[in-house]
Amino acid sequence: MLFSILVLLVVNPSAVLSEMISASTDALELCIELCAVYCVWLGIIELVEVSGLGEKLAKLLRPLIKKVFKVENPETQKLIAMNVSANMLGLGNAATPMGIKAMQALDDGSGKANFAMIMLIVINATSIQLLPTTVIGLRASAGSENPSDIILPTLIVTFITTLLGILLVHAIHKILGLKNKKRKKS
Amino acid sequence: MSAYILPVLFVLLFGWCIYKRINTYDHFVKGAKGAIKLVVDIFPFIASILIAVALLRVSGITDFLAQILSPIFNALGIPTELVELVLLRPFTGSGSYGILENIFESYGADSYISRCACVIMGCSETIFYVATVYISQTKVKKLAYAIPVALVCSLVGTILACLICKVM
Repeated sequence: MLFSILVLLVVNPSAVLSEMISASTDALELCIELCAVYCVWLGIIELVEVSGLGEKLAKLLRPLIKKVFKVENPETQKLIAMNVSANMLGLGNAATPMGIKAMQALDDGSGKANFAMIMLIVINATSIQLLPTTVIGLRASAGSENPSDIILPTLIVTFITTLLGILLVHAIHKILGLKNKKRKKS
Repeated sequence: MSAYILPVLFVLLFGWCIYKRINTYDHFVKGAKGAIKLVVDIFPFIASILIAVALLRVSGITDFLAQILSPIFNALGIPTELVELVLLRPFTGSGSYGILENIFESYGADSYISRCACVIMGCSETIFYVATVYISQTKVKKLAYAIPVALVCSLVGTILACLICKVM
């Protein structure tokens, strides 16, 4: 931020404040939109939870989540399961409230992100996409003849990147763990 | 086809709730109530990141970076036309959708460039935004290696996307 302002001081100083305020206005607009979106999704999520469907979904994904996130708490597993499945359906906005809740549940108060939190961010970033709904919609309205022919390539690529993400986080976690052990020994 | 998926899921969910004799309306309202508090809590974080991105764009730093980096991206098999999208994607969701629409307009929705752009959108995420919002309600200050790993994965995904769109 500081660097950009410094550059702007040379190029176009009068734009700094107006740009900042206009971006902040965008943020407010986005938040109002998000508030509406979250209203719908949080309502649906509440129903999914009280009806016991969340529990069922978590049960289905539990072995996978245990392996990937190394999380034992069933409540947290449930949140992660719902976050990951919303992401897979291309519902990033529905995934966010659950992601925030899952992060709070994972927080150990140390001020540093732990293994499971890092994993959750990486998985959200690479997320397997079964249905890239927004992109298909945009492409259809741009006059594509076969807007959904990107589903398969997207699925393949996201599958590979998600796998890579999981492996990388595990590998780095292991390497750091070894280093810490060595430090303790010496 | 894909338009039916969500409505059908919703119908199934409401049907299941009625079958389970749950007070559907009350619970929906209870859940929806959380939305306002959540948005108020995350607003300052969203505002800050959008301000930072806006400054980066108007100051011309992103254009400058795109120019410098495009030979490197070309060497990795990423066409120059896609460099701006690849650079801005981690920061802004709405911004990158805007770029995607520009690409559709300039090159046609069924061109190689457009199809690559679509797959890139699918395999990448607004990483900085997600990371900021997700940890905004926790005590975490240091994200350790989360962002670098996520960025590396997106880059690999981008390279793969450009490859795979050539054959599929």
